Amino acid sequence: MSIDWSVVIEYKDFFIRGFITTIELTIVGIGFGLLIGLILGLMQISGKAYLKIPARIYVDLFRGTPLLLQVLAIHFAVIPTICEEILQITPPSALFSGFVALSLNAGAYISEIFRGGIESIEKGQMEAARSLGMNYAQAMRLVILPQAFKRMLPPLGNEFIALLKDSSLVTVIAVNDITYAAFTTAKSTFERMGPYITAAVMYLIITLILSRVVFYLEKHFTPQTRKK
Amino acid sequence: MIQVKDLKKSYGEHQVLKGITTEIHEREVVCVIGPSGSGKSTFLRCLNLLEEVTSGKVIINGFDLTDPKTDINQVRTNVGMVFQQFELFPHKRVIENITLAPIHVRKVSQEQAEKKALQLLQKVGLEEKAQAYPEELSGGQKQRVAIARALAMEPKVMLFDEPTSALDPEMVGEVLAVMKELAQEGMTMVVVTHEMGFAREVADRVFFIDEGLILEEGTPEQVFTSPKHERTQVFLSKVL
Ligand SMILES: Nc1ncnc2c1ncn2[C@@H]1O[C@H](COP(=O)(O)OP(=O)(O)O)[C@@H](O)[C@H]1O
Ligand SMILES: [Mg+2]
Repeated sequence: MSIDWSVVIEYKDFFIRGFITTIELTIVGIGFGLLIGLILGLMQISGKAYLKIPARIYVDLFRGTPLLLQVLAIHFAVIPTICEEILQITPPSALFSGFVALSLNAGAYISEIFRGGIESIEKGQMEAARSLGMNYAQAMRLVILPQAFKRMLPPLGNEFIALLKDSSLVTVIAVNDITYAAFTTAKSTFERMGPYITAAVMYLIITLILSRVVFYLEKHFTPQTRKK
Repeated sequence: MIQVKDLKKSYGEHQVLKGITTEIHEREVVCVIGPSGSGKSTFLRCLNLLEEVTSGKVIINGFDLTDPKTDINQVRTNVGMVFQQFELFPHKRVIENITLAPIHVRKVSQEQAEKKALQLLQKVGLEEKAQAYPEELSGGQKQRVAIARALAMEPKVMLFDEPTSALDPEMVGEVLAVMKELAQEGMTMVVVTHEMGFAREVADRVFFIDEGLILEEGTPEQVFTSPKHERTQVFLSKVL
């Protein structure tokens, strides 16, 4: 077996485009996923049924159905329907659908991490903060979340890496990510191994960078005394 | 200063406080004693609304805590609380623990808050620990920081819920000493405690709470030396 790397060189713009797109998908997914996750997580611990129930339904919906189905449904059904029938505009690109699907999906998983992290902080911390006159939002922001965030970092790191890998599913709606570049190049050049190995290496590079960032954050959020 | 009128508190079916009526005056030190599970903590926590009151009234400084229109955060700034488990903020240095609420709630400048915090640390004998993290402190030191943290809000009343129960015996004294000093300065204090020596020495009045009621109250002398109720006598015979 010999691997013909020339096709990869030949299609390098395609791969670079894919590399950038995958990073974009990951970053957008992480960013909006964190935002949605925080909101849903806070809704779930609010103790108010009118916040809890919708959040619970959302989380169950997105965790209980395949991401591939979500990507297809959002791109071919939800976004076109909203754009054409309600907003009366042409639907944006497939990449946009990819951003939406990944963010919504990541939000569901991240909300569970937020909820678990916040619930893991002893009740007395909230009480101490409130007894000093802080309102709920201040107590959350200044006392609970910084502590919870530290405990959430390892599972968040796993989630970010899962998100990176799951982003490859947008290949099915023809978003030019890394997987799409590999699949298309292999198909049109009949070169079997080279494109896929290239794609794998690209994912590995991003995974390694992501793990390093999470590792650095974990150290950063540990008080001086615990840095050994 | 604090008026409590027919205060009742239930968790579901379980009635924990069965109608407490009392008044606590300015500069008064009240020690609350009683068997475990009798509702001492619940009573204390109703005084700053950490527990929702089922019925009755709690009036602090003229503010009715049970009135939904009362700004509870505002009232709480006047009521300091010290917990059995200290509840320092582990991600913040000692000095930040103390300045956090003054800066964010009272909107004091950081500089001023730090100056005040150092004074308070000096008062509790822990100036040199200002930059330490809570985990570097012993239990007694943590509790003294917790007292300083509560005092930083310049409260009118201090509530203590078994402040020495989680401490090793050799550290109890240093915390009680700080509390005694505070009492001598005229702070209004409500202290749930099992330290009968402290209650006897420092309290102006002692409440014996049993099964959700103040069964007996009086000067330490009255309660400790000639308790009227049999249950008080039984309790005291076990702890003294
Ligand atoms: N959050 C709660 N939910 C249900 N029951 C509670 C709760 N907190 C306290 N209780 C009950 O209330 C009673 C009094 O508790 P507490 O005030 O902590 O007693 P004490 O401080 O005198 O030991 C106990 O029977 C306890 O089980
Ligand atoms: Mg108690």
